[in-house]
Amino acid sequence: MEAYAKQELQKGQKSSAAFKWWIGSLVVLLAVGGYFIIERLVFGLETTNLSSITPWGAWIAFYIFFVGLSAGSFLLSSLIYVFGMYQYERIGKMALFTAVVCMIVALTFVLMDLGRPERFMNAMVFWNVISILAWEIHFYVVYITLLVVELYIAMREDLVRLRPANNIRGKIARMLTFKNSTITEETKKRDHRWMKILGIFGIPLAILGVHGGTGALFAVVGARSAWNTGLFPIIFVVSAMVSGTALLLAIYIIKTKVTKAQIDRKMVISLGKMMIAFLFIDLLLQFYEYLVGVYGLEPHHLHNMAIQMGGPYSWSFWGVQMFLGAVVPIFIVFYKKTSENINAILIAAILVVIGIIGVRFNIVVPSQIVPVFEGMPAGDYFPTLNEWMVSVGIGAMGLLIFTIGDRLLPLEEKPESLEGEGS
Amino acid sequence: MLKQMLEKDWDRVADGMVPNAKEELDQSPYSTQLGMSMADDARKVVAGNMDIQSFHKKYHSSLLGEFGDLFTQEPPKKDGSSTKGVKWGMVIDLQKCVGCDSCTVACKSENRTPPGISYNVVLEEEVGEFPNVAKVNLPMPCMHCDNPPCVQVCPVKATFKLENGIVTIDNDRCIGCRYCIIACPYGARSYDFGESYEDEMLSFNDVTSPEYGIERGERGTRKTPIGTVRKCNFCLHRLERGEEPACVETCIGDARFFGDLNDPNSTVSKLANSPRAFRLKSDLGAGPNVIYLK
Repeated sequence: MEAYAKQELQKGQKSSAAFKWWIGSLVVLLAVGGYFIIERLVFGLETTNLSSITPWGAWIAFYIFFVGLSAGSFLLSSLIYVFGMYQYERIGKMALFTAVVCMIVALTFVLMDLGRPERFMNAMVFWNVISILAWEIHFYVVYITLLVVELYIAMREDLVRLRPANNIRGKIARMLTFKNSTITEETKKRDHRWMKILGIFGIPLAILGVHGGTGALFAVVGARSAWNTGLFPIIFVVSAMVSGTALLLAIYIIKTKVTKAQIDRKMVISLGKMMIAFLFIDLLLQFYEYLVGVYGLEPHHLHNMAIQMGGPYSWSFWGVQMFLGAVVPIFIVFYKKTSENINAILIAAILVVIGIIGVRFNIVVPSQIVPVFEGMPAGDYFPTLNEWMVSVGIGAMGLLIFTIGDRLLPLEEKPESLEGEGS
Repeated sequence: MLKQMLEKDWDRVADGMVPNAKEELDQSPYSTQLGMSMADDARKVVAGNMDIQSFHKKYHSSLLGEFGDLFTQEPPKKDGSSTKGVKWGMVIDLQKCVGCDSCTVACKSENRTPPGISYNVVLEEEVGEFPNVAKVNLPMPCMHCDNPPCVQVCPVKATFKLENGIVTIDNDRCIGCRYCIIACPYGARSYDFGESYEDEMLSFNDVTSPEYGIERGERGTRKTPIGTVRKCNFCLHRLERGEEPACVETCIGDARFFGDLNDPNSTVSKLANSPRAFRLKSDLGAGPNVIYLK
C-alpha cells in the first residue's frame, strides 16, 4: 500500500503541458460560454431562434442527448456489476462517473431552456402526477442519487487505499471515507452485494424511468404524430446504449493514449463490436418506425419524414445520422484492415457519438417544422450564435468536471483490485 | 239565505268550467298517470306538505324514462347550487365569417398581447381547383378542450381547467418549459418572449389586460407573464362582468356565438347539435368546446 501511495504522489505532481493546455482551453471555453449564458439569462429566450411555432430547439436536443449518454453509460456499467461481464471492469467506475457528469450537463441544458429558470424548484414542489415531464424530473433526482451512491461504493476500496497518500487525492480520500474504513474479505463481499442491488434497482430506473421516460415525453404527444408511436421510447433507450458505449470507448482510448498506459486491445475491440451491435438494433427499430409511418399515410407523419429526409435539415439526417453515425463506423469495425486498429476504432466511436447528436436533432426539430395545424405557418429554426455558445459552454463545463473528477477520484481500475475479481 | 259554498260546491263549479284533466292529458303522447300524480304531489309541495327534494327524487327516474334527453333538469341540491354549472363554449359559423380578422384585432386590443402573440388567429385557405374554388376562413381561438392535452403535460399544474370549462394558466407558477405548446394540437398557445409594441405605440407597456382577473399593472422587463406561456381565456375578465368575449362582440358578420353548453336551451347548445356542426381534429379525443358550422 505504501508503494501505491508513493506512485499516487508522483502522479499528482506530474501535470504535463498537454494537461495544462487542455484545462486552460476548457476554462476559456467555459468563460466564453459563460458570457453567453449571462446574456441569455438577462435577455431571456429572445436570444434564441425559438418561437411559439418551434418552442424546443438545440438545448432540448442536447438535453436528450446527454440523458441518453448517461443512461447508456449506466447500463454499460450494470453489464459489469449486475451481469458479471468483468472483462469490461476497467471502465466500470468511469462509466458511472460519466453517467453522473452527463446528467449534470443534461439538467443544465434544461435549466437554460426554461423560460423562468429561477422557478425550477416548482417542478419539485408542484407535482402534476399525469405529466410525464414531472415524473421525469423526480426520476432524474432519484437516478443521480443512485449513481452517486453506486459510484462511491465502487470507489470505496481505492479511496481507503488512497488514505495515506500525502496529496490532494489522499486528502479527498480521507474526507470521503471514515477513519476506521478497512478492506477485508467481508467488506469486499458487502460492497459487491450492494453494487449488485443498486445496479438491479438502477436498470429499470434508467430504462423505464430516465431514458424510456425521456422518450415518452415525446411519444405521448398526440399532436405530433411522428413522435406518437409506442416504439419511440424503446428507440430512445437503444440509441442511448449506442451512444453510451461509444462515448466510454472513446474516453477509454483517449485516456490510455494520453497517460501512455497499457491499452486493453481485446476489450476495445469487443466494446467496438458491442457498440455496432447496439447500432444495428437501433437502425432496425428506426427502419420499422419509418416503414409503419409510410404505410400509415398520416399526412403530418409523412410531412415530417419528408422534411427529415428531403428538407433543409436532410444533411443532418443523411450526412450526420446515417453516413457519419452509422455507415462509416460499421465499415470501420467490420473492414479487415481497420477492425483491429485502435485509432480507427476511436474514430468510429467518436463518429457514432456525433451521429447520435444528429439523431437527437432530427427527433426534436423536424417535427416542429411541420405546422401543428394545417394552414398555420411552418417552423423555421436554426440555433443562434447564443444557443451554440451556451451549448459549448455547458459542454466545456461537463468536460471540466469530468477531467477534475478524473484527477481527484480513483476512477481507474488498479491492477491489484482487478486481481481479486479474477476475470 | 245565502248558502255557504262548501268545497264540494266549488268542485262542481270547477268540473263544469275546467276541462277534465284526464281527458286533456290523454291527448298528449306522454303518460297520463304520471301527469296526474305529479300534479297531486305538486299541490302538496305548494301546500308545504312535501319538500321539493323528495318530489324530484320521486319523479326523476320516471321523467327520464318518459322524456329521455328532453328532460335535463337535475334535482336542486340542499344548498341551492345545481350539479351542472355553466360550461362556456363558442360556436363559429363559417358561412358567416368573411375573414375580416376583426376578431383578431379585437382580441389583441382587449388582451393587449405583445408582438408574436395572438390568442385568436384566422387561417385563410383557398381550396379546390379553378373553376371550383372556395376560400375558407377558419377563425381559431383556444378550443378549451374537455380533455386538454396541455393540462396533461404541464409538469407544475400551472395550466388547468376551471369548473366553467375555461383552460387557464397560472403565470406565476409556469416555469416556461413550453411542453404545453408542443402538446397543443391547435397551436393555441404562445410563449411570451418579452417583446413589446412600445417602439411603435407609445405607452403600450403602461397597462396590461387583467387576464384571469389579475391586475398586473405595467408590463416591465422580465416581469410575469414574460417568460411564461399565454393563451386565450375566453376573456374571463369580461365574462366575470357579464360581457361576451371581445371576439364575439366585435364580429361583423355575427358569425360567433357564445354561451353555456350545459344549458340545452342556449343558442350555442342548439347550434352545437345542428347537422352543420363539426369540431376540429375531433379524432384526437381532446373534445374541443369551440364548435364550427360548415
